[in-house]
Amino acid sequence: MTSVRFARWSTCLQRVKTSVVTISPLLVQTAGSLAAILALSGLAWWMKLGGAPKLDSVEAVQRAAGEVEDGFTPIDVACDAEGASALARDAAGQIMLVRRHGNRLAGRLLTPQASAVIAEEMDRYTLTVDPGEARFGKTTLVICNPATWANAINRI
Amino acid sequence: MTPEFNPTQYAVPLFVAAVLAEMIWAKLRAPDAYEPKDTLVSLSFGLGSTVAGALLGGFALWLMLLAYDWRLFDFGPEWWAVWWAWPLCFVLDDLAYYWSHRAGHRMRWMWAAHVNHHSSQHYNLSTALRQTWTGNLTIGILFTLPMVLLGFHPVMIAICGGFNLIYQFWIHTEAIRRMPRWFEAVMNTPSHHRVHHATNPRYLDTNYAGVFIIWDKLFGTFTPEVDDEKIRYGIVKQLGSFNLLWSVFHEWIGMIADIWRAPWKHKLSYLLREPGWSHDGSRETSAMIRAKWEARKVTGEVAPDATSVADRNRIADLGEAA
Repeated sequence: MTSVRFARWSTCLQRVKTSVVTISPLLVQTAGSLAAILALSGLAWWMKLGGAPKLDSVEAVQRAAGEVEDGFTPIDVACDAEGASALARDAAGQIMLVRRHGNRLAGRLLTPQASAVIAEEMDRYTLTVDPGEARFGKTTLVICNPATWANAINRI
Repeated sequence: MTPEFNPTQYAVPLFVAAVLAEMIWAKLRAPDAYEPKDTLVSLSFGLGSTVAGALLGGFALWLMLLAYDWRLFDFGPEWWAVWWAWPLCFVLDDLAYYWSHRAGHRMRWMWAAHVNHHSSQHYNLSTALRQTWTGNLTIGILFTLPMVLLGFHPVMIAICGGFNLIYQFWIHTEAIRRMPRWFEAVMNTPSHHRVHHATNPRYLDTNYAGVFIIWDKLFGTFTPEVDDEKIRYGIVKQLGSFNLLWSVFHEWIGMIADIWRAPWKHKLSYLLREPGWSHDGSRETSAMIRAKWEARKVTGEVAPDATSVADRNRIADLGEAA
C-alpha cells in the first residue's frame, strides 16, 4: 500500500517537474519583464518625473476646458484653492469639471447624472462633484460660491 | 523544418534600455514627459499583451495554417531560403498593417481592442509598449489572410510583423523633432506618429502607417505635424483613471452596453460603425469633431496654440519636414 502511494506521489512529482521545466522559459521571461516594469516605474518615481499642472487661473481653466471639449468656451470659472481642479460654465449653460490626472488634466461635461454636495470641513466649505461615472470618480473642490455651483450642477 | 525566431523577444532588453535613456532625457529636458503611474500602466499593458497573445493567439495561428493549405503560390518546403520573399513579405505585411490599423480606428469592434494603445495622455517610449490584450478577439486576422493565401508562410509573416513592431517602438517619442527630409517622405517617424496619437481635431484619424508613411499618402489619410499647435495625446474622452483593467476593457464594456441598450435595428451598427457613432446622434464621431473645428476655423475662433512640445524639448533637428 505504502509503495503504491509512493509511486503515485513520485509520478505526480515527476509531472509537476516536467511542467515546470516546460513553462519555465515563459515564467522566467514574465518574471524578468515584471521586474523591469517595477524597476522602470520606480525609477520614474525616484527621478521625480511628472509634476502637477495647476488650474489656478481663468486662462489655465479656459485652456484645459477647450482641450476636454474642443470649442468649449467658459464664461464663468471656479478654481479649487489648491489648483487641482476647476469648474467652468459656458454661455449655453453647460458645466464642465476639470481635474488633475497624474501630471495631465482630464474633464467631463456634466450631465443630469451628475450631482454636487456641500460639506463643512474645519473652517471651510467643500464642494464634492460626482459626475456620475464611477471610474472617473468624485472630485472635491474648495471654491468661492460653492452653493451657487452646487445648485447649478444639481439642476442640470 | 521551420525556423523558430521571435525578433520581439530579443528586442525587449533594447526596449528597457531605450526607455531608461528617454527617462534620463526627460529628467534633463522635459520632466513632464513621464508620469510614474502612467508608465506603470503602459508597461503592464506590454506584459499583459504578451501573456494574452500566448493564451489567445492559437486560434489565429490555426486559421493561418489552415489558409496556408489553400495558397496560390508555393515557395517550396524551404520557403525561408527564398531571399526575395522576405522584403516582399515585409512590405505587404506593412500594407496589411495599414488597413488593419485603419479598421482599428474606424470600426468600434476593432477600436475596443486598439484603444488601449491610445489611452495614455503621454507620448513616450513606454507608450509604445502599451499593446492590446484583446486583439485576438477581433477580425484583425482577416487583413493578413490574403498574404497567407498568396503563399507567404505564417511564420514568415509573424517574423516580419515582429520587425514591424520593433520599428514602431522608437517613433513613440517627443525627443526627436524631425528626421531628414528623404526619411520623413518615405518612413513613419516620430513626427508622423505624434500626429496619429493626437486628439487635436486637425489630426484625428490620420497617419495609420506602421513602417512606411507612403500608405497614408497613397490612400489619403496623411496629415503633417504643424509646429504652432501643441499636441494633446490620448483619446477624445480621456479615461481619468490609472486602473489597468478598466483601461483594458472600458471600450468593450461600453460597446457591449450600447449594443444591449440599442434598438434591434441599430445593434450591429454599434459593433461595426465608427467609434462615437450613436443611433440618436447624441455622441460625436471624429469626423463630426473635425467638422465643428473646421467651422470654427472659418469664423476665426480657432487661434494657434503654444509651441509644440517637440520644439521646446528637441534633441534632434536633422532636417526639414517633408
